[in-house]
Amino acid sequence: MNIPVQTDSFFERFFRQNFFYFDRYPLVIKIAVLLTLIAVITILVAYSSILLRRFAAYLREKRLHAIHPHIDELLTEYVLLNEDAMMQVPVEEVRLQTEVFLSRQFRKRWQKQALIDRMIHFKKNVTGDISMLLTRVYVETGLDKFSMSKLKKMGWSSKVIGIVELTSMDMTIADVTILPLTNSRNRTLRAEARNAYIKLSKNDPFKFFDVTMEPLLMWNQLELFRTITTTEGLSIPNFARWISYSTNKSIVAFCLKLALHYNQREAIPSIIHLLNTRDHYLRADTINCLGKFMAEDAEEKLVHMYFNQPVNCQIEILKALGRIATGNHLDFLKNEFLRSTDFELRKNAAKSIIRHQALATQMIQELLSNATTENALILKHCMNPLIKY
Amino acid sequence: MPEQRATWEVIQFFYESFIFYYGVSLLLVYALLAILSFIAVRRFLKKERFVDYEEITWAKHAPGVSIIAPAFNESVTIITNIRSLLTLNYPRYEVIIINDGSTDDTLEKMIAQFSLVEVDFAYNERIVTKPVKRVFKSTIGAYEKLTVIDKVNGKSKADASNAGINVASFPYFLCTDVDCILERNTLLRMIKPFMEEEGKKIKEVGEPCPECGYRHVVEDNRRVIATGATLRMANSCEVEDGVITRIRPPRQLLPRFQEMEYIRAYVIGKLGWSMINAVPNVSGGLGMFDKEIAINAGGYDGKSFAEDMDMVTRMVAYMTSNKLKYKIKYIPFTLCWTEGPATLKVFGRQRMRWGRGLFEVMSMHRRIFFNPSYGSMGLIVFPYNLFFEFLAPLIEATGILYYIYLISAGHINWPYARILLVFAYSFSVMITSLAILWDQITFHYYRRWTEVLGLCLMAFLEPFIYHPLIVFFALRGYFNFITGKKHSWGNMQRQGFRPAQKTKEAVV
Repeated sequence: MNIPVQTDSFFERFFRQNFFYFDRYPLVIKIAVLLTLIAVITILVAYSSILLRRFAAYLREKRLHAIHPHIDELLTEYVLLNEDAMMQVPVEEVRLQTEVFLSRQFRKRWQKQALIDRMIHFKKNVTGDISMLLTRVYVETGLDKFSMSKLKKMGWSSKVIGIVELTSMDMTIADVTILPLTNSRNRTLRAEARNAYIKLSKNDPFKFFDVTMEPLLMWNQLELFRTITTTEGLSIPNFARWISYSTNKSIVAFCLKLALHYNQREAIPSIIHLLNTRDHYLRADTINCLGKFMAEDAEEKLVHMYFNQPVNCQIEILKALGRIATGNHLDFLKNEFLRSTDFELRKNAAKSIIRHQALATQMIQELLSNATTENALILKHCMNPLIKY
Repeated sequence: MPEQRATWEVIQFFYESFIFYYGVSLLLVYALLAILSFIAVRRFLKKERFVDYEEITWAKHAPGVSIIAPAFNESVTIITNIRSLLTLNYPRYEVIIINDGSTDDTLEKMIAQFSLVEVDFAYNERIVTKPVKRVFKSTIGAYEKLTVIDKVNGKSKADASNAGINVASFPYFLCTDVDCILERNTLLRMIKPFMEEEGKKIKEVGEPCPECGYRHVVEDNRRVIATGATLRMANSCEVEDGVITRIRPPRQLLPRFQEMEYIRAYVIGKLGWSMINAVPNVSGGLGMFDKEIAINAGGYDGKSFAEDMDMVTRMVAYMTSNKLKYKIKYIPFTLCWTEGPATLKVFGRQRMRWGRGLFEVMSMHRRIFFNPSYGSMGLIVFPYNLFFEFLAPLIEATGILYYIYLISAGHINWPYARILLVFAYSFSVMITSLAILWDQITFHYYRRWTEVLGLCLMAFLEPFIYHPLIVFFALRGYFNFITGKKHSWGNMQRQGFRPAQKTKEAVV
């Protein structure tokens, strides 16, 4: 008959050697000892990590502190103060001593990265020929390939870094590389790819508006709006195209803002047509856009639809009538001011009446003398130039 | 006699088993929160790397934000603090200061400094408050963002905040204390989570109307209803013109303990909870809210001692009752510095109020406990708060009494007791150490490593000095709530901030 041999695990041996009675401890105490050990190790690791991280950051800063002035010096001497560039020689013909940027000092990855970062910094602060010269240095030193290699990595953050670097240096990225990224599931990558596409695509920078399925988040809209409105030489399309046909509501809402920014009055019929949308949020945006366009053509329709709308759309209609301010619907505004039970509606009706200025002077006097205390206060509130909202 | 002894042994067995399982579950929850918060910090930092807040500063489509800051007898610091609020980086915001019936010259100072004049303001009392006496606006264009409300003292910050919400013009509001110092990009950083969710999305439900063909439309997005960020002590920081120029852990012991506690509560606690959308509370010191939801939920409760927790609870209850999806998000960055109580008297008063407030919220919203219709609030937040926040001081107190009994009766097994005490101690130090590590991963707030070390030291001292104090004051708060003892808010007795020094320090 075989007697089973009981073998000790590593932990049992360890604890027996270090804690004489460990074997005889109840389970609860054994667990407590084990967890204490884990906690002590974690504490030691935590403090070591804090110190190591701080030390690493200190070294990194020290290294950059040393190399940055050198890079700045080289960029100033060979690019910013380039003699040929100062003599108005065309950028392509300017003699560049790129070998100084290929020296041993810029062979390591962190050195290349530092060089790119400084170039981007300089590029943000210059325009014209100097900006183009910086791009030339970037290409001729092969740093573009260094950035491009990031774009081919698996991780989304590397891709984003690559996109940001290439975009900042005004490099072209092939549509086939960048377009799929505009629909990425990762929000940050998607947003950066869209920004880059607008900035760099030579063919049709707004093409991704057609293909994008993912929503354009409000935060990304801010970034994209800035990219579109600040990129030089961008050919601006007629945004009515997407206002009329896009099935992506966030793209439609964004195009309303763009159409307004570029004062594309030819888009007004498409925008008026959008008033029929069943989405009351998008409808409110549409009404707001028509108001800011001062679209007189829309006035009748807005008044006609007013009573069937939710409050957010009603407020926008009242605001729009104030912005359009033809005076045709002053009585409507007056009725709404006197009749409505909703404070916000009354306030917006009052504001819109006051926006009519000379056309409404008599009506305002009349309302002030006959209105209830609260309504008179609303009118005075809206008339006071110190109160903005 | 033997029967009595047997009964006593059974009670002992159950009590000891309960304490063991309670302790283990508490530690497991902390460990889980530490893991979740680590993931959250990593994710946040990875995304944050690519955000250029400076570029967004002038975005004309950014949603407006109203900053609401109640002031009661803040004459010493009010002007500097308002100036600081007026210089934040954000394209569209207003600053609403509510003078809550100050008895000093707070209002007079504001009127003189900012050339304020009384205006006819159409005050819409959507949330009932004590009467608003006057509203002031500045005649100087540079201060056009500023609105000052003078109201009858409502004996609570909540009442003043509600008056501010009533006056607010924008869809989001940031609640803070007028003595808090905010980081310049606070509004940009805190509005971002609101704008990163796909908002304003609808879906059509039910059958089409036979007359018009329209179908009923309901909201179909996950709406961010509140965001919060980490708070820190400003006690030893250097401040110039209302801007923090040098961050230091407080030199005094009590505020330094609080700094450590805040880091742990925000970086491990709230950030961890936000990963599973179960944030229990957005601090009254710094929180941004969706105004529409806050008003629909009834605003702050003017009578509550934990008005911030109470409002978040009601906002969540409102969302879940209306079957609306929501999110509350937390940011690991420190965006707000506040002066922590430096004396035991003021500290005790603050903690008693918190204890009392917790008791109040637990009893007031008891219908939420284990109620699946309230989602994570009913199944995670409230049970956690009940067992590990509310009951913890009571269990600890009974545990200490039981220990004393065991010692006096000679029933204690010292070797085991020592092992268990070392275990509890090391685990507590571990969680705090991890919180400090996560905080350091987020940003190196302190310039010198010795300052970090000074804070780490608090983790080792906390169980002996600070923790007993917290337990004691929490129990007193509970006692006051049960006995209905009147609580006076009292003055914070501000010591003011350190001016910036012009010395050069070695940096590691």
